[in-house]
Amino acid sequence: MFGYVRAFKPQMKVCEYEIYKAVYCGLCKKMGKEFGFFSRMTLSYDFTFLALMNMALNSFMISYNEERCIAHPQKKSMCLKADHALDYSADAAIILIWHKLHDDLADKGAKGKIAAFCILPFLKKGYKKAKGRYNALANDIESLMKEQKLVEKETDSSFDMYCEPSSKMMEEIASYLSDDIDQKKILGKFGYYIGRYIYICDALDDLRNDCKKGNFNPLKIKFKFEKKELADEEFQKARDYCLESINLTMAELAENYVKLDQKHFKPINDNIVYLGMKNTFNLIYNERYNKKEKNKHNNK
Amino acid sequence: MKDPYKVLGVSPNDSDEKIKAAYKDLVKKYHPDNYAASPLGDIADEKMQEINAAFDEIMNIRRGGAHASETTGSSYYGAPDYVQVRKYIQSGDITRADSILSGVSNEYKNAEWYFLKGSVCYTRGWLNEAFENFQTASNMDPSNQEYAAALNQMNRNRGGYMNGNPNPQYNTNPNAAGCTGCDVCQGLICADCCCECMGGDLISCC
Repeated sequence: MFGYVRAFKPQMKVCEYEIYKAVYCGLCKKMGKEFGFFSRMTLSYDFTFLALMNMALNSFMISYNEERCIAHPQKKSMCLKADHALDYSADAAIILIWHKLHDDLADKGAKGKIAAFCILPFLKKGYKKAKGRYNALANDIESLMKEQKLVEKETDSSFDMYCEPSSKMMEEIASYLSDDIDQKKILGKFGYYIGRYIYICDALDDLRNDCKKGNFNPLKIKFKFEKKELADEEFQKARDYCLESINLTMAELAENYVKLDQKHFKPINDNIVYLGMKNTFNLIYNERYNKKEKNKHNNK
Repeated sequence: MKDPYKVLGVSPNDSDEKIKAAYKDLVKKYHPDNYAASPLGDIADEKMQEINAAFDEIMNIRRGGAHASETTGSSYYGAPDYVQVRKYIQSGDITRADSILSGVSNEYKNAEWYFLKGSVCYTRGWLNEAFENFQTASNMDPSNQEYAAALNQMNRNRGGYMNGNPNPQYNTNPNAAGCTGCDVCQGLICADCCCECMGGDLISCC
């Protein structure tokens, strides 16, 4: 959906990067098999992290084999094969995307509407399947999406209040990763801060665009931006506020992260939590997080 | 019921300020935090209730008994509720803690109110508001260690601290100066100048 939660490749071991890619590949294939071809196009790195957390906390039987991929048909690459490790991430992904696209259909500009309108029918069957397995989660996400929309209609809420529903969505999603009551609580908090991180990143990333088009943006309200073009000082003010908010968020995220009982893949998750997420925000902070730069940084 | 003035150790002729000060001292003395792991906790608790009730009553008398003591509980100076708020926060009952806090009107908001409000926000994950409240609390009462500790932790986090970071040496703060290509050239030219001063040369062309 957003893809802000991703690894920082320059600091990864080659074998870790191979695994990371293999998980992404495996998840993509899983979604294709389970929910149809179009669901694969909606996959983002956020859910790769969810799958990795799942595999870190719970022991699954997994294996790797070499497979071809439609995006890069010329070469074979490592792909994760697992019976159950990817199930939950795929389900959570389709549930979240379904509601997100529904939201776009109602709110976004023409482009977003058309995209959502075209993809949604292909996802319906998949969504129903996933909802059958995680009915409570699907309902919670749906009501939180509504809450987010409601809170964004208000013009005098605090920045934290705008973050709340989105953060809660990730809280719900993350808390399913363990059956242990204590771990569940920690995972919930951990997820909350992941959601908060994503929301703040998204707000800053879209700020200039939202100003231009007159869309809602929590930063616009916080700093009372009314012009269509943001002056550099104004943007500076907003991004520094975001930097502090992100740092506060990441510190709390880390407090909960260290309490998680990870049995596998810890170095990869460490990379994502301590380096990757901050790197993504830095790119946004410096306004270099457009498609090209992002790919340069990760795929070169 | 005991004479409320005796409970607080003041005389009926004392000023409001003096009574508030006496009350504050007693609250500090019998605060449940001081007796968290002690068998005296229950006694302190009882004493605390007695002090709160006495203070409530005196304040009511002085206001001409305009309010019944049950209904005023949450809307004037003093901490009868703050003790309860702390209990709620500790037990994770954030909604109740917050509802007591929001009952306090602006003119009675003291440093402790801001600190507790900050704690409520912090527990909720509303970190920006938590930080602002801790800051206000600390500004209003700079000598309080509790407020200062909370603010310090927030300030450390704002600077980018993360618990358990295996590679803190990679500073990912975008404002921090790194070693760029520019820095390297500058360094070389400086070194060259130094060499030339001493009669040598590092970069022959300049």
